[in-house]
Amino acid sequence: MAYLPKPFQIIEIKTINKEVKLFKIKSNLNPKPGQFLEVSLPGIGECPLASCLFNNQEINLLIKKAGNLTSALFRLKPKDLLYIRGPYGKGFPIKKLENKNLILIAGGTGIAPITSLISYIEQNKEKFKQIIIYFGFRNKNYILLKEKIKQWQKKFNVTITLDKKEKSGSYKQGFVHETINKFPPKKENRIAVMCGPEIMMKSVTQVLNKLGLDNNQIYWSLERRMECGLGICNRCLIQDVYVCKDGPVFRYDVIKPKIENEEFSNKINSN
Amino acid sequence: MQKLLPKSQLNEFLINLIDKYQVIAPVKQKNTSFQFLDKNNINQLYLTRITEVPVKKFFLPENETLLKFKGNKTTEPVSKIKSRIIFGIRKCDINALLVLDKAMPDPNYIKKRKNTILIGLYCENPDKYCFCESMELEDYYDLFFYPYENNYYISIGSEKGAKIINDLPTAKKEIILKHKNTKILKNKNIESEYKNKIWETDSSKCLSCGACTVYCPTCNCFNIKDNLSINLNPINRIRSSASCQLKSFSRVAGGKIFRDSRLSRFKHFVYHKIDYFKKQKGKYMCVGCGRCLRVCPTHIDWIETINLLNKTKRKK
Repeated sequence: MAYLPKPFQIIEIKTINKEVKLFKIKSNLNPKPGQFLEVSLPGIGECPLASCLFNNQEINLLIKKAGNLTSALFRLKPKDLLYIRGPYGKGFPIKKLENKNLILIAGGTGIAPITSLISYIEQNKEKFKQIIIYFGFRNKNYILLKEKIKQWQKKFNVTITLDKKEKSGSYKQGFVHETINKFPPKKENRIAVMCGPEIMMKSVTQVLNKLGLDNNQIYWSLERRMECGLGICNRCLIQDVYVCKDGPVFRYDVIKPKIENEEFSNKINSN
Repeated sequence: MQKLLPKSQLNEFLINLIDKYQVIAPVKQKNTSFQFLDKNNINQLYLTRITEVPVKKFFLPENETLLKFKGNKTTEPVSKIKSRIIFGIRKCDINALLVLDKAMPDPNYIKKRKNTILIGLYCENPDKYCFCESMELEDYYDLFFYPYENNYYISIGSEKGAKIINDLPTAKKEIILKHKNTKILKNKNIESEYKNKIWETDSSKCLSCGACTVYCPTCNCFNIKDNLSINLNPINRIRSSASCQLKSFSRVAGGKIFRDSRLSRFKHFVYHKIDYFKKQKGKYMCVGCGRCLRVCPTHIDWIETINLLNKTKRKK
């Protein structure tokens, strides 16, 4: 049964820009925040994706056209079927985030798992303290889930940064980590959770370290190639941990030496 | 209590088995590998040395159908496996199956394991690449053959095995043989040596051909991909073997490759065998068969490299 997906129907597709679409799918899979699903189309293939909604009726997939499967998904229309199995992974350690001042940081399509966490927090507000959110996007056209963000801006402290220098009123310019420096979050009882390109997460983590957060107060949600989702195919191994089974969210002090070891070897010779 | 089978009666014994089971045994053709045994190839039976090709293809075929999409129906085909016997499997290869038991908790694999009786054979001629003694192997078998003088002395490991040799006479004495390897892996605690420069000597010779992973009896990494028939009905989702020595292994959509350098891929292989798997599942993933050393086109000997690691450590 392990690899058997179920068909689910697309309710709505929103085009956000040339590269990104939002798929709303009717589904009762109810992934926990930070978990992922194996989404597939027969004849094309499978890929791991995170829902950006915490809901037991619906899955929202934010899909960037990046490979074979995502390109094929872009040709689908509402009422078409796609196949999903899962959810897989442990997701965010929700219990450890409760009663904490949270700093949530996401870059680009890394916004997906973070938004499912925000959507969980919205539904369980009393369990959490201060929520500060930083989103980083390439430029104005790449701001994802604009309407959602507008809603959240009313409830939480949301900062949006754009890489490109554009004249734009409410947005900060530059990279996310620069903004955090300028608008530092609260000092005590904090945990930071982030998802995005590793390069971004690294710079953000450095800034957070300077602001006094230890690596054991920081969580990374990672991207790796995951074929099975079950910890069998060994594709997502970072040294001795499976990103699919043990993650994809890791406390940074746990995963840091492992990521750095592999990067160390990549730097030394690159053929 | 051991049973006794004269060496001269081995072929007859196997032919009797072929009537009741699918018998898989080491055979010498272009290379030496495990094949289904029948009356035509029984004279090619090859028991002298360990086979070049491991036995894993009978448990993890190179391509295996996981799903069939036919119209609106999706089914998981269950492979029908006749009761099988693997004869002449060495201790290292049996232990490779014990590793796969931990690595592949997968219904198709489990079914194949359950339906297979293992008849082991004592390894009379370990070569200069064998280092099984260093790998803490278990004694696990349904039957195990010790060749001694003109007879096989057969140890019994399970009831299933006992049934097969019910008719054979009981041996008057017990013969348990133990061989000595010339190659020894002196140290398996390599965690702290990840950044040692010594690995670069090996990786600079590596061609990333992946032969070590193809011939390794425990390498089980795979792709999941869809195979199309010409009329698109059915579409098969298959599992096909993959190799961590290839760049594509860790490539994600968008093109990022997480183990981009040969050094990181080479170390990943060695560390997975000796370090990572032990930490995850409490067992070494390497069984000391030496196939990766035997087939390497540039003669990389990572066992010696680890042994050298030890020496440089002592100098400090």
